[in-house]
Amino acid sequence: MISVRNVSKVYNGSVKALDSVSLHIEKGEFVFVVGASGAGKSTLIKMMYREETPSSGQVFVLGKDLSRIRRREVPYLRRRIGVVFQDFKLLEEKNAWENVSFALEVTGTPRREINRRVSQVLNLVGLLDRRDAFPSELSGGEQQRIAIARALVRNPDILLADEPSGNLDPKTSMEIFNLLERASLYGTTLVVATHAQDIVNKLRKRVVELRDGTLVRDERRGAYNY
Amino acid sequence: MRLIGYMFSQAFRSIWRNKLSSFLSALTTGFALFLLGTSFLVSINLGFMYQMAETQMEIQAYMNKEATYSELASAATQIREMPGVSEVKFVSKEDALEELREMFKDKASVLDSLEEDNPLPPSVRIKTVGAEEIPGVVEALKSIDVVDDVMYQEEVSKRLVQVGKAVQYLSLGGMLVVGLVSVMVIANSIRLAIDARRQEIGIMKLVGATDGFVLMPFLFEGIFLGFLGSALGTGFALGAYNWVAGKIAEFIPFMPIVGLDSRSIWDMFGIMALTGVMVGLTGSAFSVRRHLRV
Repeated sequence: MISVRNVSKVYNGSVKALDSVSLHIEKGEFVFVVGASGAGKSTLIKMMYREETPSSGQVFVLGKDLSRIRRREVPYLRRRIGVVFQDFKLLEEKNAWENVSFALEVTGTPRREINRRVSQVLNLVGLLDRRDAFPSELSGGEQQRIAIARALVRNPDILLADEPSGNLDPKTSMEIFNLLERASLYGTTLVVATHAQDIVNKLRKRVVELRDGTLVRDERRGAYNY
Repeated sequence: MRLIGYMFSQAFRSIWRNKLSSFLSALTTGFALFLLGTSFLVSINLGFMYQMAETQMEIQAYMNKEATYSELASAATQIREMPGVSEVKFVSKEDALEELREMFKDKASVLDSLEEDNPLPPSVRIKTVGAEEIPGVVEALKSIDVVDDVMYQEEVSKRLVQVGKAVQYLSLGGMLVVGLVSVMVIANSIRLAIDARRQEIGIMKLVGATDGFVLMPFLFEGIFLGFLGSALGTGFALGAYNWVAGKIAEFIPFMPIVGLDSRSIWDMFGIMALTGVMVGLTGSAFSVRRHLRV
């Protein structure tokens, strides 16, 4: 599903964000990427939806070599990948429903299909009754649930999350991770970069650790620390 | 169909959000197109004048004002005997004044002061058998002593064409400059629209919107601004034309001015709208390429 082969990323000719990282993720896996700030977690995630391209090495996602894919193929790749961020990235002037339906509108999905899928996914994240609320009227946890709903509304093969609980309190964080875990039960492959030590330790998923751009640990049913 | 509706609503929302810059770019485009319209209207009128001149193939020989009556009479006889001449009409100073008086009709009183010291020269109007005889007759007329100046339609037509060309080059040159400015102003307006929607564009791309889908509303916006400009430009041009035509009718009543029928107005609007749309498309395409990196 995702195959990172000997990938390095150098910024400005000298700053090494990733150094010969290799990683293979199977369909339906749930993988935590851990490490200190600046260890290269975000860069690795960005490689997987082709926000970044490697300086050397290859990234294969859904059978495509992302460094050789054509520009105009990128949108079609992204329709099969959901992405969730620390800062939610919701549009302030759209309400909850519109923020989610937006993801389907921009790809020309028929109205009836949009209505069906948006209500389904808002129900899944437990916010169907808050559908008319604007982001400013929602708590951080609710906003992140809307962002997850947006990422899931297309039934993606892969869900990527970069510090999804970075702005949330521990209890709300746990809710978010439970939601992500539910998505993985439906067969979606999850890659989650996080600092949430307690949660990583509790969920006991595969853990990949980066340190200064190098992959130093890859453990099944791992913990945040050794 | 739904997609086109979406594109349009996005474009209109964006124009509304940046009301001032949208209005300014439409206005600038309108000004550029006003110049285009002016050149269009001038060329219509020149064509009309040219046609009028063609139908009256007449040579006018202006005589020396000091010439005696017998000198004039002998000249007239001489002219009558020229080969190729079919009709000769003598117009005395008094006749000329009378004709002018008739043209001015109710405003003829302004000519009263001319009565005592009539500045109009006597002239002879000559019709030839055919147009090809004109050059020979003109040459012969010039050799007569009391003939001061020879005017004939070809000359008038030539001059009309010259004046018309000058006016057109001038307005087309001006249009080119202002047109370039309006492309830039529209490009800037679209850049503002793109900046206002940066975050939204980022998310659109994230969820898999194609480049075309992202940039199309901005192209629509540019096209619409250009179209709006052409409507403004047509309005300006027609307003100015009616004003000038009114003034001309008031002060130079014998000058023929084309009254605009709805057909020529639509023709003009069509040309202007097409140009406006091109200007808008160019400006927005420029900005989209530059600031959307698509």
